[in-house]
Amino acid sequence: MSGERYRNSFLREVEHNVEEGHWVKMCMQCGVCSGSCPFGPHWAHPPQELFMMIRAGKREEVLGSDAMWMCTSCYNCVVRCPRKLPITHIMHGLANYAHRLGLAPKNQPTRQFAKMFWDNLSKTGRVNELKLSLGLYFKDGFKQGIRNALAMKDIGLGMLKAKRLNPLELVKPHACKGAKDIHAILAKAKEIEDRRKGLSA
Amino acid sequence: MAETKTAAYICQGCGIGERLSTRQLAQIAQKEGKMALVREHPFLCGAEGVGLIRDDIEREAVTHVLIAACSRRAKTEAFHFPTVALARANLREGVLWSQPEADEAAGLTQEMANDYVRMGCAELKKTKLPLGNPLAATNRRILVVGGGVSGLTAALEAARAGYQVVLVEKERALGGWAAKLHKRVPFREPHADPADTGIEQLIAQVTGHPRIRVHLGATLLETRGAPGRFSVQVSVESGAAVTEEVGSIVQATGFTLYDAGKLPALGYGKTPDVVDQAGLERLARQAAAAGGAIRRPSDGAEVGSVVFVQCAGQRDEGGSHLPYCSGHCCATSIKQAMYFKDANPEVDTVVIYTDLRVPGSGEDFYRSAQRKGVTFTKGRVASVEPASGGCKVSFRDLILDEDVALEADLVVLATGQVPNSGVNIELADDDPAKAAQVPILNLAYRQGKDMPQLKHGFTDSHFICFPYETRRTGIYAAGPVRRPMDMAQAVEDATGAALKAIQAVENAAAGRAAHPRSGDLSYPIVRIEGCTQCKRCTVECPFGAIDEDESRFPVFNESRCRRCGTCMGACPVRVIGFENYSVDTVGAQIKAVDMPDEFSEKPRVLLLACENDAYPALDMAALQRRVYSAFVRVIPVRCLGSVNTIWITDALNSGYDGVMLMGCKHGEDYQCHFVKGSELANYRMGKIDDTLKQLGLETERVATYEVAITDVARVARLIDDYVAKILEIGLSPMKGFA
Amino acid sequence: MAGSVATSQTILVVGGGIAGMTAALEAAECGKEVVLIEKSPTLGGRTTLLYRYFPKMCHPICGLEINLRRLKGNRRVRVLTLAEPVAVSGTRGDYTAQIRLAPRYVNDNCTACGECARAVTAEIPNPFDYNLGRIKAAYLPHAMAYPQRYVLDPSIIGSEDADRAKAACRYGAVDLDMKEETVELKVGAVVWATGWQPYDAARIQPYGYGRLRNVVTSVEFERLADPRGPTGGRILRPSDGREAKNVAFIQCAGSRDENHLRHCSRVCCMASLKQTQYVHEAWGEEARSTVYYIDIRAIDRFEDFYRRVQADPTVSFVKSKVARIEEDRASGDVILHGVDTEGYHRYAARHDLAVLAIGMEPALRAVEVPPDLPFDASGFIEAGAGGMFGAGCAAAPLDVNRAVQSATAAALRAIQVVNKTADVETI
Repeated sequence: MSGERYRNSFLREVEHNVEEGHWVKMCMQCGVCSGSCPFGPHWAHPPQELFMMIRAGKREEVLGSDAMWMCTSCYNCVVRCPRKLPITHIMHGLANYAHRLGLAPKNQPTRQFAKMFWDNLSKTGRVNELKLSLGLYFKDGFKQGIRNALAMKDIGLGMLKAKRLNPLELVKPHACKGAKDIHAILAKAKEIEDRRKGLSA
Repeated sequence: MAETKTAAYICQGCGIGERLSTRQLAQIAQKEGKMALVREHPFLCGAEGVGLIRDDIEREAVTHVLIAACSRRAKTEAFHFPTVALARANLREGVLWSQPEADEAAGLTQEMANDYVRMGCAELKKTKLPLGNPLAATNRRILVVGGGVSGLTAALEAARAGYQVVLVEKERALGGWAAKLHKRVPFREPHADPADTGIEQLIAQVTGHPRIRVHLGATLLETRGAPGRFSVQVSVESGAAVTEEVGSIVQATGFTLYDAGKLPALGYGKTPDVVDQAGLERLARQAAAAGGAIRRPSDGAEVGSVVFVQCAGQRDEGGSHLPYCSGHCCATSIKQAMYFKDANPEVDTVVIYTDLRVPGSGEDFYRSAQRKGVTFTKGRVASVEPASGGCKVSFRDLILDEDVALEADLVVLATGQVPNSGVNIELADDDPAKAAQVPILNLAYRQGKDMPQLKHGFTDSHFICFPYETRRTGIYAAGPVRRPMDMAQAVEDATGAALKAIQAVENAAAGRAAHPRSGDLSYPIVRIEGCTQCKRCTVECPFGAIDEDESRFPVFNESRCRRCGTCMGACPVRVIGFENYSVDTVGAQIKAVDMPDEFSEKPRVLLLACENDAYPALDMAALQRRVYSAFVRVIPVRCLGSVNTIWITDALNSGYDGVMLMGCKHGEDYQCHFVKGSELANYRMGKIDDTLKQLGLETERVATYEVAITDVARVARLIDDYVAKILEIGLSPMKGFA
Repeated sequence: MAGSVATSQTILVVGGGIAGMTAALEAAECGKEVVLIEKSPTLGGRTTLLYRYFPKMCHPICGLEINLRRLKGNRRVRVLTLAEPVAVSGTRGDYTAQIRLAPRYVNDNCTACGECARAVTAEIPNPFDYNLGRIKAAYLPHAMAYPQRYVLDPSIIGSEDADRAKAACRYGAVDLDMKEETVELKVGAVVWATGWQPYDAARIQPYGYGRLRNVVTSVEFERLADPRGPTGGRILRPSDGREAKNVAFIQCAGSRDENHLRHCSRVCCMASLKQTQYVHEAWGEEARSTVYYIDIRAIDRFEDFYRRVQADPTVSFVKSKVARIEEDRASGDVILHGVDTEGYHRYAARHDLAVLAIGMEPALRAVEVPPDLPFDASGFIEAGAGGMFGAGCAAAPLDVNRAVQSATAAALRAIQVVNKTADVETI
């Protein structure tokens, strides 16, 4: 295993496949990003450490980490980084890459939410909030779903009263006007992105 | 020589006229001081006052001037009379500003002022106008020892300023380390890529310069003389000895790379695939010559992965390797990693460091390496071992906090610079370490064959503000022999050293002192017939200025002398002095003080204060109107090292109740501008106790203090505490016997 | 420019700090004529405002005393204070410099007796204490000021205070009619020893300088430790004057940062190591210093000093660039947030005072110079082919020792120009 440690291979892989991944090598390990992250205490590896792990060739640990999924895009790290690394973007890029490879942690909530959100959105061209929240409630099984729903019932009823929630959306979701066009746009975008990442072949 | 005519000028300005009777001062100057001419003036430093003095010098043929006004450190532009002997009585800072304004203090304040006028007159009468070293030597050629970047630069820069230069290089070719490099670290924007060394051009400029003579394969057999008149025997390539007459010397003898063979734990010697930075340069040059990639020594395979181990045998805490950081090695490893990356970005290059040290724009070079894909890892290397197909580097990754091992085709150890300083003259002659050392300058000096070293073998200056001040006048260290450094710094350093060498020959030619008493025209005058050949002066001179002749009499080399007076302080028979600073000029001041009798309850304390630090501190205390005892009488001295114990015994014999000496900090971080002066004074005063006992006096009657220039509040307190102490032990029983 | 001929034998040195004084004195002691100009009322520059030097812990004014004595004894250096260059034109060997002389309102009759200061009532922030303390508007810059001559702050000119100062002076030294003037100098070579200035700490937003009371810069901290400074050398924090015993030193405040200064300012690591010793000296075993750093750059034998400080039980080191500082409103304490990158340890560390090891930026601004004085992107002077040379921190961020070496080298380059012997192009 030591043969692959501190080699270019994983760093190269990140550079080629991760959005803004070519910045990883520029980190000087000052740690200002790690200290600036409001969610810092809640993840295993802060950005600077993640970057070092990439350089150390710890592929599985990095891509299997939940760390980059925790980024809330506050950009504190980006504005403070003395090397001007676009850290937020790298985090999202890493998450995306791990997801594409199927290496991201299965039950990572951000990942699950992001996937649901995307599926939900890309279907009709607009977000169906009712379906999205119910999907979230029930992601861990029926029993847990009921519990989650009951816990949130006051808010739900309040929204119903204020006409911010239409139960009919569950059976007959309304789509945006040009759903077809949206699908075409998304398909094109995916094609471009895949080509850029060298995945089209 | 014109007849002596003395004149005293007493200023009444800055409140002197209000708080003191200048009439009384004038009378003292006239009657006791025997001044031929005495004048009072309300504003002596004003145009009219200065004009008055100038007129007297011209029309009245005044040759000796006493200014009784402010401190000798003040109003120096106004009181500038270069053609006469000058003394200053410090009435303003020394009396007015350090004594209370209250009416009841007026009596003691006047007594103090009276004494300072008496002392000033006494000093003036013993003083002569210094005329400069009569043996001034005028050879202005400059010898540069060492033909690497530092030496070549020093030679070229001195020659470009119009001076003749002799360059001596022990190898058969010029260029030193630089000639062995593939490329150098860049020294100007954009600090992105290794640069050409430029060494060929530099060599060509030197060898083609009409004012530079080069000796290759040459060493110094003997260096004799002094600034302005060095005579150097050079053994040249043919084996013959030639004599070069020069005025000053730049020693640019460079460094040797620390022996990586002492680092078996890092794999050196166990496999040819562990090299030092010089080894990597060699490989890079071979590759460049062959037009291909860098290949590893063991099997000639192209290097696919390389690890740089920083601080190899450096920053060592265990005491077995170099304790210091060589400064350049981080940038050098960055450069060498680029050799690989620039040729083939696929090569793995890892730099393992603990602190990456690339100051200034080196940061850009660091960034450039990262951009090229060099990996930097903060870690501590435990071992490097040969492994199948390469080397295994085991280290602790300090960021990831784990022990790891990685494999590499080649490992480069960043070892440090060891200065080529010649002989450590401070080692005992029978020290085996000394026997192994080969002298470089071969100085025919009483105190040893090479320059004194400062620390870790480097020939650096101890002074932060004065980096070129070595302890051998007219000989300047430049480049890595002085301090570990890179090429860019060596060029800067060598250019500065060339200036100092030029300055040394100009000073020598004019008979002036070099730093720190630059421009001083006084020089030690010896009454050799009184000398007892005790050798103290030759041993104690901090600058090795004094040799011994065949009959063991001291030989003073004035242009090597810094005019500190340590020899004068050392001389037990008091045969050494300067025209304007001698056993007599100070002794006469000590004796001039009016000594109250033992029933007066008015002690007298003599304070000999170093003029570089303690005296300015006293001045500044006065500027802040810090009051101190009126019983003290201050005499500035050039250095505490110049204090002759006769002054102490004379003072005590003539009824002083105590003597204070204030000098600079000594020891490891000494601040004495003459290196050893305060230390020697401390040593000498340590031995004065016996004398005190013989005289039946308490040992407290002589006290030595280390005082910094910033000890402004402390100097006043020290004086008061000491006077209180004296009052406690009682006045001296010696009063009235003088 | 081979073969160019100097039309003037004079060397102009711009800047009277340690580099400028060195360049001027070294050239003068080689026998050259020098004009040394300084924009403030006294020579000495920024080193005068330091309490001590690393690594010897000796006092900068000790060297200043020696340099001033060299200067007093050497008539070849002409000193102009309150003098700034506005434009320099010409070529190697033949420059014309326009020098603006600001009025001092005190002529050389001044004896430094101090009566004017006693007479004046207005006070101004003390520029020689980084404005931390206040002084009378008629003042001697500091005890080692050279020329040893008072100066009237322009703010009181036209006021009764100014008249009082004039009336108090018995030597006709106060001259309220002094006007700004511009003089022209012909010189052969110019040494720019214009030094550095601390980077504007307020621009490093997360550190709260200017907003948080107990965040100071390293240059200010020097004044707090200096017995000549505003607190008489007691290390007291600005918010409440309480003793600052637990002090944080934040490295790379502005330096090594592409949002601020790209370069490493070289001296700040050593300066902070030195300042930890001020804290130790002040409070003994009760002292606590923490140095937050990226890399400790203690080059060459400075390493000895680093090792000494590492062994000091009152000092600890954290490899971390501090992310932000917050203030505990009630106590005024500063709380530093960040991550110790050696193994990922998060901290929220409380300190009495935070000292920003502030970066160096070149001070030379707004002067018209001919193109033969090249600058790098950070504003430092690079080597060029003309007759003008950078010295000291105008050329690179340097410690005192290296600044003096640089100035000595610059003096020789200037001498080469006026000696008319530059037969090879100097690059």
